[in-house]
Amino acid sequence: MNLSRCLACLLMTLTAQAWAADKQPAADHHSHHGMQLDADGAVMNANSKQLPHGCDRISAEQDFTVHVGQKHAQDPGMAFGMSMQEIHVKPCSRVTITLVNDDAIRHQWMVHGLPKYLYPAGMFHLEASGGTERTGTFIVPPEPRNYLVHCDIAQHMEKGMRAQLVVGAGSGDLWAVNGVSDPFVRSSYFPQTPWLWFISVIILLVCAFVARRLTIR
Amino acid sequence: MKTPYTLIVITLIAALAYPPQWYPKPLRIQLTQWFGAGSYRSLPESMPMQPIEHEIFCPADPSGWRNAQSIDGVTIAESLACVADNPFLVAAAVKGTNNISHATLMASGLTGDAIEKANDLDGDGDPDEIHIRLEVAELNGATPLSLDPVTQYDIAPGIQPGLWVFAPKFVGMAVENFESQRARPALRLPSPAIRVEQGDRVFITLENSHYMPHTLHLHGADHAFIDANGEGNDGVPITSESPVMPGFARTYELTPRHAGTMFYHCHVQPHVHVMMGLQGLFIIEENRPNNWLQTLNIGAGLVRVPSRGVVETYDAEYDLHYQDLDQQLSERIRIDNDPRIITKSMHRDYDITDARPDYFTLNGRSFPYTFRESIVVGSDNDLIKLRVVNGGMKTIALHTHGHKFTVTHRDGTKVGANSETPRDVVTLATSQRLDLSVNLKNDGLHAYGPGIWPFHDHEYQGVTNDGIGPGGNISAIVYTDFLDPDGWPRTQGVAWDNYFTEQYYRKEIPVWNLYAPDLFGQPAMDGWILLRLLVLLVCLGTIIGILAGKVLKWREPNE
Ligand SMILES: [Cu+2]
Ligand SMILES: [Cu+2]
Repeated sequence: MNLSRCLACLLMTLTAQAWAADKQPAADHHSHHGMQLDADGAVMNANSKQLPHGCDRISAEQDFTVHVGQKHAQDPGMAFGMSMQEIHVKPCSRVTITLVNDDAIRHQWMVHGLPKYLYPAGMFHLEASGGTERTGTFIVPPEPRNYLVHCDIAQHMEKGMRAQLVVGAGSGDLWAVNGVSDPFVRSSYFPQTPWLWFISVIILLVCAFVARRLTIR
Repeated sequence: MKTPYTLIVITLIAALAYPPQWYPKPLRIQLTQWFGAGSYRSLPESMPMQPIEHEIFCPADPSGWRNAQSIDGVTIAESLACVADNPFLVAAAVKGTNNISHATLMASGLTGDAIEKANDLDGDGDPDEIHIRLEVAELNGATPLSLDPVTQYDIAPGIQPGLWVFAPKFVGMAVENFESQRARPALRLPSPAIRVEQGDRVFITLENSHYMPHTLHLHGADHAFIDANGEGNDGVPITSESPVMPGFARTYELTPRHAGTMFYHCHVQPHVHVMMGLQGLFIIEENRPNNWLQTLNIGAGLVRVPSRGVVETYDAEYDLHYQDLDQQLSERIRIDNDPRIITKSMHRDYDITDARPDYFTLNGRSFPYTFRESIVVGSDNDLIKLRVVNGGMKTIALHTHGHKFTVTHRDGTKVGANSETPRDVVTLATSQRLDLSVNLKNDGLHAYGPGIWPFHDHEYQGVTNDGIGPGGNISAIVYTDFLDPDGWPRTQGVAWDNYFTEQYYRKEIPVWNLYAPDLFGQPAMDGWILLRLLVLLVCLGTIIGILAGKVLKWREPNE
């Protein structure tokens, strides 16, 4: 284990040297488009300067720290979760998110539906390997709206990592935000007994008999 | 009371409506003797053929992924089949994600730590410390947002079995883009073939990104039972270590002393987890100088950067990973989203002793998709190496047309020279590996000359998709003279339009409708017999109703 850790350290140093030219420190809030990718994470489409249409100034600075991982799962039937399933921000505010990954695996904090003229594919994206964190900044548009926030690793959204970013008064809850709104397709928590059908038939027959007795008089 | 007369009339009508072909045989003969043969009614027409819209056989390759190219100093062989691997991913797998340019890393889709290579321990010009990171991805799984599956992956047109795979560590989304539910191209079945060099210090970190516990077991590859810290290294929950829980990671270590074609798989509830797809080829190449290996072969298939040892003898090398899938197992992750319900359904309700597989894949696809990416391409006098594993629950009887191949290695060990008999059927038990040498020399024994020569499982389930043929693991050895520039084999014989439709494998299209629609089409219904049946049913229902009323009245004396 020690050897492998040494190897990892060595590799990280090498990597850092190789990519020094491409790297921008995550804390440096320069207006910057595109993907900043490094050995164990990424910040994509960060934007701390350019105002969305309809904003004449930054209305507020809003900073959030979101912890993610299996221990933040909200319900027994969920595998993963985020410490903030709902984030409220002011229109035209500059939002800085710090994603803290409490797991040993990769997680993401990804917003969709932002204006495509500022955010390619309409998304802002933080990604952190296990045990690391990433910080990124973006500016939200003026319109009240609920934006989808999720982790897009296969099955992470489905198993708990689905949240919403509410700008101003919002535009109504999204489905299946854990702790906020119901799933559109809910698992069927029927009693797990082989007698289920038998009991159903008995209830049916008893009701039929009673109904007949009542109507005959 | 008119009831008896009504009953008699209805019974008479029912008797007349009763279809004559159901009369008892003596009665039919007697009637024929009295009245002669029935008069001719023409047979129903064949149903008109609905125009079928088929998928494109061979998708275009706009980025030139099929071409031979050099990326970051890595020479990548051309891939002549229609669909090729991302060459940037190949380059990253050869150099290591820590040794390539930022542009290549971005184009590969991998994270910076997905495959790290360093330290030339034996001083022979290639890195000998290899650190691979694998995640676990679910394909065609459930979602609380829709009844359709998410992270969709088709093994054949319209066929989306639920799957679990070991996946390289990719940056970004699991799907193509936000508007799509389709898995990104490299996130697929089978789990990648892993290649390391004999004597390498190999670290494989299993980052369990899935919602169930898993492990990694290195089947047939030389590894210690416990690592230097005394932690389990065999991947077996009942004997060596607790499984890796969701959100956790564990690093497995090995320094393999022997070369050969081995296997890796999850060892948690293996009768379920391995069958779901948590299995891959694990290949240990012989040590050679300057032996930069393609550490991962995504989706198996052609090895675009073969090892020095293989190149010494062979013109090309292919990884062939056979699997089978039981629909009654794979559908279980699509029905419910709660891991507690899924776990019960998969590990308690599902009973593999009653199971029969329905789908048969070669390198993660079933026919006709096998012809897009899993054909073996060669020319006269080529010598081709195939590394074959059977990961399914069913034995495979692997058969080649037009060739007799030679088994050189069994389970990673060389067979004796006098057992190297040319064969055209060879069986692979579950988890067994064979190295095959296919000689394309037209000598009447090893090969019969250029063509499109199918190779497939000769156990007949294996050449169907849930019982519909052609399907399953059918592929072909295609000579370059028979290959179009876009990589599609110039087949003769019947048109393939049907096979590239979902309807065909949903059993909705007559199998020969394209060339014999009248003879073997779907006959229209006979309206006359339907009418007779309807009248018969109405009469019988009325009779039962009248009789039941009588009985009830008789049981209620005070009426
Ligand atoms: Cu996640
Ligand atoms: Cu498993």
